[in-house]
Amino acid sequence: MQLEKFSYDNKIVRNFAIATIVWGVVGMLVGLWVAFQLVFPKELNLQPYFNFGRLRPLHTNAVIFAFVGNGIFMGVYYSLQRLLKTRMASDLLGKIHFWGWQLIIVAAAITLPLGITTSKEYAELEWPIDIAIAVIWVVFGWNMFATILKRRERHLYVAIWFYIATFVTVAVLHIVNSFELPISFLKSYSWYAGVQDALVQWWYGHNAVAFFLTTPYLGLMYYFMPKAANRPVFSYRLSIIHFWALIFIYIWAGPHHLLYTSLPNWAQSLGIVFSFTLIFPSWGGMINGLLTLRGAWDKVREDVILKFMVVAVTAYGMSTFEGPMLSLKTINAISHFTDWTIAHVHVGGLGWNGMLTFGILYWLIPRIFNTQLYSKRLANIHFWIGTLGILFYAVPMYWAGFTQASMWKQFTETGQLKYQFLETVTYLKPFLATRGFGGALFLAGAIIMMYNLFMTIKQGKLVANEEAEAPALEKVYHKHGSEHWHRWIERKPVQFLVLSLVVILIGGIVEMVPTFLVKSNIPTIASVKPYTPLELQGRDIYVREGCYLCHSQMIRPFRSETERYGEYSKAGEFVYDHPFQWGSKRTGPDLQREGTGNNKKSDLWHFNHMDDPQAISPGSIMPSYSFMIDKNLDTSTTAAKIRAMQTLGVPYEKGYDQIANMELMEQASRIAGNLAKDSVNVPANREIIAIIAYLQRLGTDIEKGKIAENQ
Amino acid sequence: MEAIETIAPPKPPIAPKKPGTKETTHCYHCGEKCDHSIAIEDKYFCCEGCKFVFELLQENGLCNYYDLSNTPGIKVKGKFSSDKFAYLDNPDIQKKLLRFTDGKQSQVNFYLPQMHCASCIWLLENLHAIQPGVLHSKTNFQRKEIFIAFDTSVTSLRKVVELLAFVGYEPYISFDDNEKKRTKKVNRQKIYRIGVAGFSFSNIMMLIFPEYFSSGNISETYLVRIFSYLNLLLALPVFFYSASEFFVSAYKGLRQKWLNIDAPIALAILVTFSRSVYEILSGTGAGYLDSMTGVVLFMLIGRWFQDKTYDSFSFDRDYKSYFPLGVTLVKDGVETPVTISELKKGDRVIVRHNEMVPADGILLEGEASIDYSFVSGENNLSIKRKGELIYAGATQSGGSILIEVVNPVTQSYITQLWNNNDVFNGAKHVEKSFVHPWSRYFTWTLFTVAGVGAIYWAVVDTSKILPAVTAALIVACPCSLLLSATFTFGNMLRHFGRNKLYLKNASVIESIARIDTVVFDKTGTLTHTQQARIEFFGTNPGKQQERAIYSLAKQSAHPLSRLLANHLLETGTEPMAISDFKELAGKGVEGRIGDNLIRLGSSSFVRGTEKVAEQGTSEVWVSINDQVLGAYSIHNRYRPGVNKMASWFESQGYDLHVLSGDNDAEKENLQQIFGKNASLVFNQSPQNKLEYIKTLQSGKRKVMMLGDGLNDAGALKQSDVGIAVTENSGQFTPASDAILDSSEINKMDGFVRYARSGKGIVTIGFVVSILYNFVGLSFAVSANLSPLVAAILMPVSTITIVAIAGVASSIVARKTLGN
Amino acid sequence: MSVLVILIALSIIVAGIFLFAFILSVKRGQFDDDYTPSVRMLFDDPPAIKEETV
Repeated sequence: MQLEKFSYDNKIVRNFAIATIVWGVVGMLVGLWVAFQLVFPKELNLQPYFNFGRLRPLHTNAVIFAFVGNGIFMGVYYSLQRLLKTRMASDLLGKIHFWGWQLIIVAAAITLPLGITTSKEYAELEWPIDIAIAVIWVVFGWNMFATILKRRERHLYVAIWFYIATFVTVAVLHIVNSFELPISFLKSYSWYAGVQDALVQWWYGHNAVAFFLTTPYLGLMYYFMPKAANRPVFSYRLSIIHFWALIFIYIWAGPHHLLYTSLPNWAQSLGIVFSFTLIFPSWGGMINGLLTLRGAWDKVREDVILKFMVVAVTAYGMSTFEGPMLSLKTINAISHFTDWTIAHVHVGGLGWNGMLTFGILYWLIPRIFNTQLYSKRLANIHFWIGTLGILFYAVPMYWAGFTQASMWKQFTETGQLKYQFLETVTYLKPFLATRGFGGALFLAGAIIMMYNLFMTIKQGKLVANEEAEAPALEKVYHKHGSEHWHRWIERKPVQFLVLSLVVILIGGIVEMVPTFLVKSNIPTIASVKPYTPLELQGRDIYVREGCYLCHSQMIRPFRSETERYGEYSKAGEFVYDHPFQWGSKRTGPDLQREGTGNNKKSDLWHFNHMDDPQAISPGSIMPSYSFMIDKNLDTSTTAAKIRAMQTLGVPYEKGYDQIANMELMEQASRIAGNLAKDSVNVPANREIIAIIAYLQRLGTDIEKGKIAENQ
Repeated sequence: MEAIETIAPPKPPIAPKKPGTKETTHCYHCGEKCDHSIAIEDKYFCCEGCKFVFELLQENGLCNYYDLSNTPGIKVKGKFSSDKFAYLDNPDIQKKLLRFTDGKQSQVNFYLPQMHCASCIWLLENLHAIQPGVLHSKTNFQRKEIFIAFDTSVTSLRKVVELLAFVGYEPYISFDDNEKKRTKKVNRQKIYRIGVAGFSFSNIMMLIFPEYFSSGNISETYLVRIFSYLNLLLALPVFFYSASEFFVSAYKGLRQKWLNIDAPIALAILVTFSRSVYEILSGTGAGYLDSMTGVVLFMLIGRWFQDKTYDSFSFDRDYKSYFPLGVTLVKDGVETPVTISELKKGDRVIVRHNEMVPADGILLEGEASIDYSFVSGENNLSIKRKGELIYAGATQSGGSILIEVVNPVTQSYITQLWNNNDVFNGAKHVEKSFVHPWSRYFTWTLFTVAGVGAIYWAVVDTSKILPAVTAALIVACPCSLLLSATFTFGNMLRHFGRNKLYLKNASVIESIARIDTVVFDKTGTLTHTQQARIEFFGTNPGKQQERAIYSLAKQSAHPLSRLLANHLLETGTEPMAISDFKELAGKGVEGRIGDNLIRLGSSSFVRGTEKVAEQGTSEVWVSINDQVLGAYSIHNRYRPGVNKMASWFESQGYDLHVLSGDNDAEKENLQQIFGKNASLVFNQSPQNKLEYIKTLQSGKRKVMMLGDGLNDAGALKQSDVGIAVTENSGQFTPASDAILDSSEINKMDGFVRYARSGKGIVTIGFVVSILYNFVGLSFAVSANLSPLVAAILMPVSTITIVAIAGVASSIVARKTLGN
Repeated sequence: MSVLVILIALSIIVAGIFLFAFILSVKRGQFDDDYTPSVRMLFDDPPAIKEETV
């Protein structure tokens, strides 16, 4: 029983590596496309399937879950086996994990352009896919823990702790956030409404960043950086402290995405404090990473892999410094809804995730194919244009962010808003163009890498099963081994723990959520009424087309905003919004009061604007939605939707679902009538009517309330 | 002291700069200077041993050893006699050493002083590649420990140890060295406490913030209640588990009518907790649980930070640790290994080359050339003839000898040292830290303030008495004092360590600051044991003759020959072939080169006439073909920088003493180094040294003693600060408060200056914390201390103090220690 | 804002799980040695490809 011979599974690593490369290029390509859609709206928006609103989620999902996701799995499957001196527990589970994950990505790539979305950022996928994700994720976890159980190295290297944290928390976040009520195979409503939905969404949204884009990559950093530099991490103790400190506070930073919103003040402050505290562990990690290379900077100069990693860690440092800053109210007041946010996330995305992934790929591919990298020169070129790309991307976006914010906030001495919203849009075009150029550079780099690695693979031969040997894990006997209180738990297999955790969570939530939430949604504002069936249908179209990606529905309590959009938003207004549509970016103006006050526009205006935005507001970068004029509204779903809303506590009176379509047609024909008056003849059963109805409804409840009071 | 012979050039854990420069060659294995006589391809070795190890690793494909860091090897000591470790076959000994065995598999932990770099880890964890039967080996670099599991049917404890010793990592084997295990347990307890406190603290923060930022008026009142109850829940483990050590030590203190620093802290925690409980249960407020958990967390971290001492050192060994575990007993012709404790009067024992005489005994057979340096401090060999008495603790060099035990170990001369002196029984008393009295004043002032507040409110508004008093006790907890002390001293420990002075614990810093008298041991402390000043007198040998002498000296294991060989190597000579080489124990060596007979050794051996060498020096006479050329006189060499260091102490009005086991040959040198006021005493037995310290102390002197070897053990233990000086930290050192790398002895003045600055730094931190306390108290006694204020004051003051402690101690370190 | 209760409960549960993991791993001696593992993880590469760091 002396030395045990075994082999590392490199095949699975290779598969994930290839997936990473391919999806990476695809995702960036889509990103480039949407970037230029903002510059050439007419030419590049191919309605209905390839409008900005449908492609942008495709970009985010592709880069986060396809590129980074596969990158994580590649790194985990490679490092876990070697750190634990054992093969992955099950090749089959590995295969299921791999193909399952790719299927999910394909499903996303199909459904999103079809407008099948929940409209929750970074969680747009509909419920069947959500379930698939949960299942595959558990498969991954199972495989990981099973491997940990059959390990030959007693100590769990710090990287593994980061992997474990990733698995557990992402599972929880995903389940809680995608808690939705299906009304059909591909349509569901979020269980949460308005403020609550927003809070859950950003609790998830932030932690998606934390536990999908950060913790696993920290794990990878702690493995691949020492490897590439062939020197131990600067301080292993610091890395351990880094992990535990991070794990105890990271989970609660979400609310800083909702500053100045209708979220209760104290909840916002909570978010601020924790986001701010995060700077300490984050920088601890960054410093630890950089100091690992102390005295090896000569190495860095000629080793392109280390160059990639240095840039990555630096970018991590920058964005983890910027993050807490952005979560300070004063700064957030400026940055929020502007391109600053876009710049921030891309410093993290392109810099930290992108560059680290590239570095790992360059290090790992030659190894598992037992050869040398095809061309160091190409790798160097990639490094330089990649870095340039990041600069060309970030700088103009930051600039755009400041300018946009300041233009929004400027008043003339007579107290009027200085700029029309449209002016700010047109002013930004050059910045958006330059950003696109930066993206193009970065993509070009990725393509060069693709070629370089492809040639590397061609010249080498995959070591599918890398032979290795290690002594079996020795049971450490204690001279006087007393039975500890925790022994009972150790005897149970960890898989069981994992599963039971997941089950308990699902069970628990199913138990509490409905009772909790439905009760707490009693309208605090009397005049706020449920949507009419037509408006409801219109709202679902609004969701389908991803309007929330450019139009916020959240007016913050600043004079510049109340002047422009009307009264600031109140929590009570959103109690019937499943899901919430606050949005996080204002490429276009806020729409919460679109139907009232000085924002009020005629049905005709909306009709024409949807048909051809540029014709109505020259210089607008909004895509055309003329297809809605010819597309019939699917009213077969109305009844089901009403019933679902009732389940969620929206007070439609009993049996309303039966008469809903009738009322729908009435309202529709009224609007069609209005349009007819302006000699636009369009049948009442077209989607355009529904969307107009919804837009005209926005913000009217409050108005009604006021009128009521006045009488 | 076998360790002395196995000195590895100190190396940083990873990738040291290459020692190999053009002109001087270095051993590919151990990095020691060497000639080109022993080589494999382009790799040169200083000795057959190193070459042998290299070959062994090579054939087992372990040459990665040499890639991970340059010349990682340890100079292989003269090949130990085959049955040196025979005693490990003795079942009783095995039972004592093995931490587990079930007949099929055994597991053992060893302390490997020689472990020093990444390569060591790699090699030691690949033992199974060399030795079949080794199932598993794991190192702990910081503790310099290795855990080995082996299959008893394939190999044996003895084989494993022999392998370790062979590749240069001879384990330090001793029965009474388990103090390490105990410390390990304690540390874990601390870590749990910190973990629990950290968890509760961060979650309580999360739940308490709503309270602060809504300034108490959250629309959803039920949330507030849920939050505060959750807080209470989270605080319980902190109060009952994490904070327990404060209560315990406070209680202990009070039982001895002694108000130690933990007393007020415990009080503060208690008050904070109970008031919070009251507020939460009565629904009158959210309590101060965040402050409480925070304080506990920070103080635990502070203690942990300070407690972190040097795992790989052992500060309290007694003479037992120096003696061999097992000895070879000869009964009617058969040799049996027995444990040293079993030795009885009249037993006959074999002592081999480099082994230590385990008990006082009469020499029966063999030629004994005995080195007493270990016991007496004299560093010349003395020759014993049959029938002469040899004291325990002496080391035999040359052939093996047979002695008959006259005193069992427990009564032998060296042992008397311990047994006659209560010094060694019971811990030496350490003066209470100045922090304690301070905290006492602090507490009383605090009580007065609180009292005054109480009286004031008693007059004005009785309902405010309780809030005011409790609030006062909450904010003004002396934890800041504790923190500034723990963090300062903790950081100072680290700086001392970086300069190779390893303190037993933080309290030693204060003791060093207090001393006014410094006592040095001469041999091995002030002087090199490895280098020497060598002069030749007589007719200078020519290049060829020098080569011949070098070749001959190189062959001998005798310390003097070693010194001579190294000396000649400087001139870059290459060895020549030698025929019929003879080493005559206690006399010298001879051998033929070409047709010349060359002799090296004592005057009597080379010239036939007895000549007592000039005191304090040794002579190696040289003759070629019976024609005497002259002699190399070998003086011991003082360590560099000793003068500067000594003169500083003199200028600072410390009174200086030098104790030496040797005679007064060096008097003049020492006098000019240490100044006329210094008192120099010679021919000191270990017992004398001890008494000397005692007399000094009886004169109300605070004594710091620097010494090496066992002969100083008593003195080191007796003195207020005992510093063991050692050539390499792996070497065994006598019981002491600190271990100093001999290369750094010239920094001693800096160390003392640094230690003295410690109190100042703590004071600064303390003063700052007092200021914070004023702010806090002003809020408190005016009975409007909001939890928010408390929660802000607490971490802010903590962080400032920690920052001050860290920065100040680092700056001073740069000033006094030069880094 | 009742959803907060759920989120907080979850956060604490997750944190609690990790606390448990922490205590367990300390008990198992995971963190007794906080240096050697960082060196050990460098070893597993066969020397053959060691130079291959591009």
